[in-house]
Amino acid sequence: MITRPRSSTLVLMALLTVSAMLAGVAILLGRSADPAGKTIVTVRLWDEQVAAAYRESFIEFSREHPGIEVRTTLVSYATYFDTLRTDVAGGGADDIFWINNSHFAEYADNGRLMPIAAAPDWDPAVIGQFTRGGVLWGVPQLTDAGIALYYNNDLLAAAGVDSAALGEARWDPDPSVDTLRPLLARLTVDVNGKTAAENGFDARRIRQWGYNAANDLQGINLNFIGSAGGVFADGDRFAFDNPQTVTAFQYVVDLINSDNVSPPASDTNDNGDFSRNQFLSGRMAVFQSGTYNLAQIAGQARFGWGVAMLPTGPAGRVSVTNGIVAAGNPNTNHPDAVRTVLDWLGSTAGNEFLGRRGAAIPAVRPAQRSYFDYWSARNVDVTPFFAVLNGPRIDAPGGAGFAAGYQAIKPFFDEMFLGRREVAPTLVAAQQAANTAAQR
Amino acid sequence: MTSPRRSNALIYAGLMVAAVLTVAPFALSLLTSVTSAQQFATGTPLSLPSPPTLSNYTALGDAGFGRALMVTALMTAIITLGQLTFSVLAAYAFARLEFRGRDGLFWLYVATLMVPGTVTVVPLYLMMAEMGLRNTFWALVLPFLFGSPYAIFLLREYFRSIPDDLLNAAKLDGANTLDVIVHVVLPASKPILATLTLITVVSQWNSFMWPLVITSGERWRVLTVATAGLQSQYNAQWTLVMAATTVAIVPLVLLFAIFQRHIVRSIVVTGLK
Amino acid sequence: MSTPRVRSALLGYGLLAPSLFGVVCFLLLPMLVVVWLSMYRWDLLGPIRYVGLDNWRSVLTDPSFGNSLLVTLLFIAIVVPAQILLGLAAAAMLARELPGTGVFRALYVIPWICSPLAVAVLWRWILAPTDGAISTLAGQRIEWLTDPTLALPVVSAVTVWTNVGYVALFFLAGILAIPPQIHAAARIDGANSWQRFWRITLPMLRPTFFFVSVTGVVSAAQVFDTVYALTGGGPAGRTDLVAHSIYAEAFGAAAIGRAAVMALVLFVILVGVTIVQHLYFRRRISYDLT
Repeated sequence: MITRPRSSTLVLMALLTVSAMLAGVAILLGRSADPAGKTIVTVRLWDEQVAAAYRESFIEFSREHPGIEVRTTLVSYATYFDTLRTDVAGGGADDIFWINNSHFAEYADNGRLMPIAAAPDWDPAVIGQFTRGGVLWGVPQLTDAGIALYYNNDLLAAAGVDSAALGEARWDPDPSVDTLRPLLARLTVDVNGKTAAENGFDARRIRQWGYNAANDLQGINLNFIGSAGGVFADGDRFAFDNPQTVTAFQYVVDLINSDNVSPPASDTNDNGDFSRNQFLSGRMAVFQSGTYNLAQIAGQARFGWGVAMLPTGPAGRVSVTNGIVAAGNPNTNHPDAVRTVLDWLGSTAGNEFLGRRGAAIPAVRPAQRSYFDYWSARNVDVTPFFAVLNGPRIDAPGGAGFAAGYQAIKPFFDEMFLGRREVAPTLVAAQQAANTAAQR
Repeated sequence: MTSPRRSNALIYAGLMVAAVLTVAPFALSLLTSVTSAQQFATGTPLSLPSPPTLSNYTALGDAGFGRALMVTALMTAIITLGQLTFSVLAAYAFARLEFRGRDGLFWLYVATLMVPGTVTVVPLYLMMAEMGLRNTFWALVLPFLFGSPYAIFLLREYFRSIPDDLLNAAKLDGANTLDVIVHVVLPASKPILATLTLITVVSQWNSFMWPLVITSGERWRVLTVATAGLQSQYNAQWTLVMAATTVAIVPLVLLFAIFQRHIVRSIVVTGLK
Repeated sequence: MSTPRVRSALLGYGLLAPSLFGVVCFLLLPMLVVVWLSMYRWDLLGPIRYVGLDNWRSVLTDPSFGNSLLVTLLFIAIVVPAQILLGLAAAAMLARELPGTGVFRALYVIPWICSPLAVAVLWRWILAPTDGAISTLAGQRIEWLTDPTLALPVVSAVTVWTNVGYVALFFLAGILAIPPQIHAAARIDGANSWQRFWRITLPMLRPTFFFVSVTGVVSAAQVFDTVYALTGGGPAGRTDLVAHSIYAEAFGAAAIGRAAVMALVLFVILVGVTIVQHLYFRRRISYDLT
């Protein structure tokens, strides 16, 4: 008689036990300490600084709404919109997610965003950007203000360049008018200490860059295009094949490949942070960018720095400005809680947290003070970012099909910036490819 | 005609060169991963870290790598267990049982070996989405849990070559199917089982495209996806990125180092078939 | 009434049930779905719309898809022979079984064990023009991954580097399986080691060649992780391998229908190549040494 279970049965039991244990661990991993009775609302964004501001803001929020807990999810910008699309499509997106002008159109058109009632104290430019079909599709969270020039005090002093001169710089295809190029040449230094303005400059071994000319849509391209009087997009269509835009791109590409004042495109084409990191390590004298890098620079730069106004182009000084909204996911399981959180995000009290540590400029106008107060307390003059917006602006592109179109552009622009293709024919080909892809 | 000693020396030289080419990238990346970011940025990239630091690794912890490790390990364990179990059962049925449609079904299984993983990603994604399984642990695991035609194919070969006498003897002793499998078939198949375990563990641990597509956010992110994400988020912060690749690579290298002899022998045995 | 046959069938199907479920659901069904999908347009967000053969027309006339196929073909043509040659050479050295061979043999397999994604990220640093290992050693920038003539060879080299040790193991097993009597007999007949290699070893390795080239082609055709991490498709599509372009089409450009078409084309090509290889080698592999 069998008194103890057969060993094959033992094996089976062992197998089942192990499976059960593993399954148990899996389930445990899946539950993330859901507090009893609370509604969890998730918020997705890409900016680390603002995420920190949000966390503080949500602590305050939970005090007033104890039944709702808000959690932030950070996804890196490089993959943000790819994963957002697949998540929204799969119904697994967060309850609230950030969206920018370039990408929101297709979500709005497919009913994937909650309609929002505009509040009077929100930044009108941002409202305008995110209104489509007469409806506002997100709660404005921040506005990027305009683009300006960050500069490294020490490097400017060493080159004998005055920051005031930097703020007055003009760029122009005509060398007799152009002051930007010669200025940047003095700020580009090779390993032997020679600047790009001197004879014997070794363009292959540069230890200090002058400027961050690169294929950077918001930081560089759009501003040059606008300052040349050109256009990038016209509604939902790409329209950058025009003479002024050619001029703008030609100038930028030359800065990289002929004048050698900026890093080669092989470094910057696939790495949006390359130039900023060079600037932060003290290897770049002038860094053209927006307020979205201000907090990082203030926190990490180990040298004295300042901000000057954008260079003026043949058609003036034109900057792009951009806003970000927090959009609501209409497929959420708790729409009421989501609306409550959205209300908080759009209120002065809630939005103010973005400005408190200078993470971003709040889009709720009464909350913007906190931002200015923070930076002036640190003796950082942020006026150039705002002053530039008093002039004409160029819109950030967007529209349905933008993502596909922009992906089609990339190989063309990469080659153009690498100096391997001529600007004019490349823009023609790229525009056609982009519009074709956008239609699909 | 070169003397044996000279030709041996040449062979050793060749082997050494190949060994250096193989190991150098790993060694260099390890070096970088223990260099502080400061030193890397200000000094020359290949200088020795002074002092070596673990700061990059602790930064990884903040970036969610601890969880990624757990998710990956769990996923690998569950899939390996399930795949091997169900493959053994199926291979036994194909190898040792007689029933209608057996061969036809087997050729069906073999036919699916031709289906490349790349081709199934998009439709599987759609199917998972329709079932609401996107971004769940089960979505990571289900497509692979129920046995692998490749494993079934190899196991069947092996099982067929087990001498009939062994099996008959067991049956005469009153063994049922489960007994036969556990007591006769499995012990006789240790090499192939070891190989398959290794192959499954390696391919699941290193799986990238499917987890990339089916998960998002931190919750169910596996190690490969976390590494790719880190590389794009902290682009050109090489000290951090190299720490990530080291974390992704070391567990398997350790596993390999421990079971090395067994593993190499097993791969060889598979190839001979 | 359970006759032995019925019982046997029940047992058989019972044992097969889980794997059958898996095969049908996760391998066969997706094939049907992908064919169905190829005739629809879907951008993941909007409704799925029937478009008939539009996707087929658009993909088959799309120059960038043709480029992708060409690049993949070139890639396979570089990687598979290189792996085989280098693997054979390494195996030949290892087969001498000099002391310490075991260590080398194990060492060479390590790149294959690691995740292709991690390996690619690692090589990304080594090849980086700024702050990369090679650039630092050479003292100057070399644009490995953005130079149109260098990019594909470099990506191929990384793949070959990963696979050589693994391929070598198969050749090693094959070489060691050749009965020593044959070599002894040839030596008596006056053949030197080179002749023996050409006339005995190589021909007897045909089954290994077959195995290694079939699996090599199939796996090279599906390389994705390496491209994703190293070049993202490369300078002007020079490294846009087909697995990567399928992914980019589905999840970057959000054209799922077109991606389905591309996947089907890849499938047909792979099946064709595998069949051709089977036919080619079947005529040449004849013996079994039992």
